[in-house]
Amino acid sequence: MPPTFVADSLFGPFFRKYFYYYDSYPVVIQIAIFLTGVAISTTVIAYSSILFRRGRGYLIDIRTKKINNFIDNLITDQIIFNEDVLNGVQAQDVRLDLVPFQKPVFAQKWVKQALINRLIYFSNSFSGDRNILFKRLFVELELEKLSFKKLKSFGLSTKIVGLVELTNMGVAVADVIILPLTNSRNRKLRSEARIAYIKLSKNDPFKFFDDATEPLLLWDQLELFKIITTTEGLNIPNFARWITYSSNKSIVSFCLKLVIYYNQHEAVPAILKLLDTKDHYLRVDAINCLGKLKAEEVEEKLVLIYTNQPLRCQIEILKAIGRFASGKQVQFLRSEFIRTSDFDIKKNAARSLINHGRLAKDMVQDLIDTATPDNAIILKHCMNPLIKY
Amino acid sequence: MKAGTFLEIVGEFYEGTVFIYGTTLLLIYALLAFLSLGAVRKFNNLDGYLDYTLLLNSHHTPGISVIAPAFNEALTIIENVHSLLNLNYPKYEVIIVNDGSTDNSLELMIKEFDLAEVDFAYNERLKTKPVRRILRSTNPAYAKLLVVDKENGKAKADASNAGINVSSFDYFLCTDVDSILDRNTVMKLIKPVMDESKKRVIAIGATLRMANSCVIEQGYMQRVVVPKQLLPRFQEIEYIRSFVMGKMGWSVINCVPNVSGGLGLFDKEIAINAGGYDPLSFGEDMELVIRMMTYCVNYDIKYAIRYIPITLCWTEGPVSLKVYGRQRSRWARGLAQLMFAHRKLLFNPRYGRLGMIVMPYNLVFELLAPVVEALGIIYYIVIIILGAINWEYAWVLLVFVYSYAVMISTLSILWDQLTYHTYKTWREIIIICATAFFEMLAYHPLIVFFSIKGYFNFIANRKHIWGNMQRQGFGQAAKTRAITAST
Repeated sequence: MPPTFVADSLFGPFFRKYFYYYDSYPVVIQIAIFLTGVAISTTVIAYSSILFRRGRGYLIDIRTKKINNFIDNLITDQIIFNEDVLNGVQAQDVRLDLVPFQKPVFAQKWVKQALINRLIYFSNSFSGDRNILFKRLFVELELEKLSFKKLKSFGLSTKIVGLVELTNMGVAVADVIILPLTNSRNRKLRSEARIAYIKLSKNDPFKFFDDATEPLLLWDQLELFKIITTTEGLNIPNFARWITYSSNKSIVSFCLKLVIYYNQHEAVPAILKLLDTKDHYLRVDAINCLGKLKAEEVEEKLVLIYTNQPLRCQIEILKAIGRFASGKQVQFLRSEFIRTSDFDIKKNAARSLINHGRLAKDMVQDLIDTATPDNAIILKHCMNPLIKY
Repeated sequence: MKAGTFLEIVGEFYEGTVFIYGTTLLLIYALLAFLSLGAVRKFNNLDGYLDYTLLLNSHHTPGISVIAPAFNEALTIIENVHSLLNLNYPKYEVIIVNDGSTDNSLELMIKEFDLAEVDFAYNERLKTKPVRRILRSTNPAYAKLLVVDKENGKAKADASNAGINVSSFDYFLCTDVDSILDRNTVMKLIKPVMDESKKRVIAIGATLRMANSCVIEQGYMQRVVVPKQLLPRFQEIEYIRSFVMGKMGWSVINCVPNVSGGLGLFDKEIAINAGGYDPLSFGEDMELVIRMMTYCVNYDIKYAIRYIPITLCWTEGPVSLKVYGRQRSRWARGLAQLMFAHRKLLFNPRYGRLGMIVMPYNLVFELLAPVVEALGIIYYIVIIILGAINWEYAWVLLVFVYSYAVMISTLSILWDQLTYHTYKTWREIIIICATAFFEMLAYHPLIVFFSIKGYFNFIANRKHIWGNMQRQGFGQAAKTRAITAST
């Protein structure tokens, strides 16, 4: 649609009224007048929006502060200083007085939402019996229905909010609802669904590893790692299963991290197979994992493949040998230190030699005595306690 | 052909060309406004759910080297290093490069941080002026600190390269030692790296603002205030527009041309392979980013450069016209130098967006804009003298350009307000919004003038005098300086 047509249909009558010669102006000037109108209107709208947003934010802050204080007082009375809890009554048997939470003020939607937010906050701050009571309150006040409603809505952000609320309050959600969301194209929904699945799934919390088609981003890995390692009562499987069979590289890489954390030495054969993968970033992760597991039995194999590896893998092999510190490969480290002209290889060989402690003490001293000034300074660098890296 | 007819043809051609040029530029601004709004909203939606403390407690948090070159910064160096040592991040090192300071910056640091010279294996991957010694703290409280003492390289680039050479981690954050960083800067900047699986994020930037007039104590930002002096206040608006609207918009289509030297996180491997900072460049930050992008295209690496719309760094803007002019002339000269040096990329389809969008945009709408504007002013004067001006049309066009410029600045302020409630009082909001009305009339001509001066210096190959930034210092240091000055 030509701009002059738009200008004419939207602003024509106005301009004709106030600009007597409007129709006689050249097209360029007509467009300029039209766009001036757009610019002025947009500026006014922008200012109104700034004013409105600030004003609304200010009012919401005051309102939220007030209602949060009110809710916190109720929660303190009913749960934190609940007499039954103080007298040692089991959380399931504690009598909860719901009446204060059913006052007319709680009929308002935003107040219910504020209550959910405060319950999540308290639930994350307390453990033990009180934590159970927060969850009981959430369910008995039927707030979980609101969260389920959000989860079933079409809006993605509403869905995410619902999922986060249910996950935080530990309310069970059927696998059939969450599992499809773990492969959602929406990055945040996918991530929250994976967290929820691990926390809430009763059957096989790691099932989504089997079908994950979307990559597990590094940030997602941080989130999942925290959930997996802090969720109580989670059955930890042997992660070698996914290291062997998963075609999703990010899942394999993540499983290697979990193998290190849970010290799953039984996964070593599966990790060894990864040394044949073409992806050298994955190989780096595999070698790193073997080193941190102190899988000394693979040391020889690592030395054997060393020469055919790219720089990153070679450095990781040198680090792994330093972690094993078995003393069997000190000659290899020494020869690499002397032979190579690559600074990083030299430095990592030196560091790994020094990591061997007394097993390589004489060799290190001998190297310092006979080394070139550049080599000597690398050795001193690695030996200096003030230098960490 | 009669002279009058010829002049008329030239005039019509010029007017037509300028019209197309101006319309295209305005359309690009409109497009950037839409793109940046989408990006700002997306950032807000996601950021609200994020728990950045995950990074604090994880073993898998990527390590970062924070590099801050320092030249004669004795006034503020101690409190600023303290501030860098107290960033919210579990795995990082602080590298201060003393670039041959002639004041007592180094002595102050040695005393304050218990520094001792160490046998450090220095790997000169990037060529720099000689490094005299490397110092580390014997106090475990400052274990993250490493100080490089080197000969003056007459450029921040040389010092930054020395910092990169000693850095230990895969990503480095480059800043100025006199800039004030938000405590969560590193956490926020590393996030886009951890959010990308298909592309390699080679550089990440965030919004910079003016530190002038802000309340800063012991190197920490206590309260953000709109600059009281006029020149920094105009720069504040300019920065908001450039970062929140410009760079955020370009970020959406992966066409960010520059990550500011004041604050940027970079992929070390790519930066080194691309040759590091160029000490001979007057715009070393943009030069590095362009070379990193070129390197990625040459080696078939799918790259991304990201921006986040929140303010993480405050820098002291020039207060005097003399210092401001020197800074802007240098930037303009840097742009001209860069365009000339990388002219082979221009309109080169092999370089994809870099060759077809980033470089042409910067040539046509950044480098040439001051020239077109200056010619426009001259043309106006000529037709006024010749009595050939149609005043009615001229006023319509001037009002149009003015109102459009105010609209773009106002939208930038609005987008900024969506993510970052910078200013606490209504008065400050009114001041910053009102400034947008005077910017085009009072401030923009300065940019045009000093840019053209910079181009002239580039063409004439005049020697650049770096001069002193004449910083005022912040907080207690400023007070101390004021007392010393008065005695």
